[in-house]
Amino acid sequence: MPSLTTGREKPGRYWKIDLETLEMPAAGMSKVHVKGPSGSRVVTLDVARADHADLLARAYGATGAKDTKFGALTFAGDFIGAFVYVPADVAIDEPITIVYSADGAAYPHTVVLAEHGARATIVERFEGTDGATFCAVAEIVAGDGADITFVSVQNLPDAARLIATRDARPGNGARVAWAVADLGAALSVGSADARIEHEGAHVDIAALFFPNGAQHVDLMTTVDHAAGHATSETVVKSAAIGSGQARYLGNIKIAKDAQGSNASLRDDALLLSKSAHIDSVPALEIAANDVKAFHGATVGAIDAEQIFYMESRGIERHAAERMIALGFFEPAIARFPGESLREELREGLRRKIG
Amino acid sequence: MSSGLRITDLHARVEEKEILKGIDLTVEPGKVHALMGPNGSGKSTLAFSLTGHPKYQVTEGTVTLDGEDLLAMPADKRARAGLFLSFQYPAAIPGVKVANFLHAARQAVRPDSLPPAKFRKLLMDKMETLDMDPVFMGRYLNDGFSGGEKKRLEMLQLAVLAPKYAVLDETDSGLDVDALRAVGEAVTALRASDEGAKTGFLIITHYPRILQHIEPDVVHIMLDGRIVKTGGPDLAHRIEREGYDTIREETGAVA
Repeated sequence: MPSLTTGREKPGRYWKIDLETLEMPAAGMSKVHVKGPSGSRVVTLDVARADHADLLARAYGATGAKDTKFGALTFAGDFIGAFVYVPADVAIDEPITIVYSADGAAYPHTVVLAEHGARATIVERFEGTDGATFCAVAEIVAGDGADITFVSVQNLPDAARLIATRDARPGNGARVAWAVADLGAALSVGSADARIEHEGAHVDIAALFFPNGAQHVDLMTTVDHAAGHATSETVVKSAAIGSGQARYLGNIKIAKDAQGSNASLRDDALLLSKSAHIDSVPALEIAANDVKAFHGATVGAIDAEQIFYMESRGIERHAAERMIALGFFEPAIARFPGESLREELREGLRRKIG
Repeated sequence: MSSGLRITDLHARVEEKEILKGIDLTVEPGKVHALMGPNGSGKSTLAFSLTGHPKYQVTEGTVTLDGEDLLAMPADKRARAGLFLSFQYPAAIPGVKVANFLHAARQAVRPDSLPPAKFRKLLMDKMETLDMDPVFMGRYLNDGFSGGEKKRLEMLQLAVLAPKYAVLDETDSGLDVDALRAVGEAVTALRASDEGAKTGFLIITHYPRILQHIEPDVVHIMLDGRIVKTGGPDLAHRIEREGYDTIREETGAVA
């Protein structure tokens, strides 16, 4: 079985979980529910295999997801899934929603194929019981000039687990955006990647996570600039409270021939309690010489001057911390589509601060 | 109950250094006091000690606000008791919108005083008075604000909160004409309003110029952590002409 080469499988100083030994429970009930606005085409993977095999084949397994440890598990399992097809030059304004639910092991696989000039937003959700363990894959193949936003949200119960491998291939001048929100589950191990093989592409990655209680979150993002004159922007905002633990690995790669690339990576982590911990490991690997690459990262507690400023206006300390922490997430929240979704995320974060 | 912001024999230190060496000063409701002094005399320390900044430790003395023991309260409670500090360098808080912050502050200081629609109206009125663009409301608190914008936002908060006692730390704004005007207009407008008619002011400044915009009732001169001279507005004019040196010689202050 192929394995990741980043070393993230092994426990570290703060990271207690050995992903190599992570065992999947027995498969239980798992379901997929798909819903698309008029003009969109979204079907379950079963239906796609039967009725749209040619289209599906163009995107299924077309990214690097199958070459990762957990992605390969999904491909081997592959019991449920959804296929989204957006025809050329079609713009779907309302989001297409895909909801996975499970009470045991589940291997959901979402495949998106967007033709040239297509535009759509997909919102994927994971729901289930404490017994649920998802090992999921999402793949996007976007044609020239397509514009695809893929939102992945989970607010699973405390004992559930989610492993999600996400990878995209944007075409010439295409834009692909991943927006990942991890709010629930005991353990969330995720990736959001894109490999740019065509010029003029743009990749946006936004992620937010907030482990509280005993939650663990492990996120890795990778933008691989293999072709030049493309841009990417990664924004990750995270906080931890209680004994929440998290790790973020942010990778930017720019190949030797990818001249004219412009990549930025912004990653900020807020620690709201003494036993909370977030490890932040950005890595820029740049082989080309005519590129712009920005990277900025912070890890720390709320600035005492910010708290005092609010207190001096009569706002109680806890309320001040809450406002500041919620505000801290705003630059990431702003990258999620739709005010109702953004409000849902704010509410989810608010509940975690308490 | 003795009204006023009454400071008695106040000593305070920052880290291990004693800065305030016994301050006696009372700001009465509706009065404007100016506290003047050169850099390093302890003016800002007094402002932060009054408002309860954790870095400043009061070692001796008392402060009462309309009879209540201010020093026994944490910073947020002091604000709710009616004390306001206009910061020289207010903190930026990204992601928190000005309108939401102002609403939270107003609710904290004057609970249930205004339903949201009325609060909005109040905000719009105050912003018009201060000649502020409504787009301000949707911006993040002091995030990327210019010095002048920060000053206007402090003044907007003064207007919206209408405190019983306002300490305006204008130590360095004496050279910025726009900031001076904003402060002058805000103080004048608040004093003319129903809510702010009885507000007492302590205006801390290095340069006398701000006092051309706000006529003080009382002027105090601070040197080396002590108030060495108290007088009328003419004292400010004297500082303008002579600087602090003659007063230093006269009073024998060391700093």
